[in-house]
Amino acid sequence: MYYICRMENIKLKIARVEKGLSQQDLADLVSASRQTIGLIEKGKYNPSLNLCLSIAKALDKTLNDLFWYENKD
Amino acid sequence: MDERNKQIAYKVISIMYFLTFFAMQGILVYRQFVLGQETSDFEDIAIIMTINSIFLISALLYFGAIQIRKLKVKSILLMYLVFVISGSLFTYFKYNIFQSPGLSFEQLFEKLIIIVSIVGLLLGFWILLSVLGKKRLDKELE
Repeated sequence: MYYICRMENIKLKIARVEKGLSQQDLADLVSASRQTIGLIEKGKYNPSLNLCLSIAKALDKTLNDLFWYENKD
Repeated sequence: MDERNKQIAYKVISIMYFLTFFAMQGILVYRQFVLGQETSDFEDIAIIMTINSIFLISALLYFGAIQIRKLKVKSILLMYLVFVISGSLFTYFKYNIFQSPGLSFEQLFEKLIIIVSIVGLLLGFWILLSVLGKKRLDKELE
């Protein structure tokens, strides 16, 4: 079963840290605020597809790598 | 300003807009029915609010915020009836309940003709806008 829920986006956080970027650095790369990146990582804000694509490109990842969750019951 | 800031700003602006709108509506009702002021005393506010509401509904219809899948004659007639009845009731209450002496039957009938015409024109305008808005969207999808 697949579903989307508001959970912490660990994948995004790990990808960002692996790339050696702070939340502010990533925010500057995708023309967003640090707070927005922080909220996405915390799962408290659902970004638009455009912002997801910008983040994925900035981190050299695919959308699946960062935003796809698969939960099996 | 990123997309989240914009979303929050839009939300706050919408809420503030409706709060202001309802507050103005409250002021109109208070002035008219509690203070017993003449309509001419607050006509300017009433005109602004009326034009504002008409443009708001028109823009919502044209830009597709109100989704209309199919225009059915039955629902249009029903809407027309609801508008006419509520307009008539409002007029009756305004002139014959809250004011004395009230209007005569002939005067009320004249008002009814105005209500029927205005509601007809408004509904026609909104139907036209929703059709045009739908065509615009279809054109963008081509």
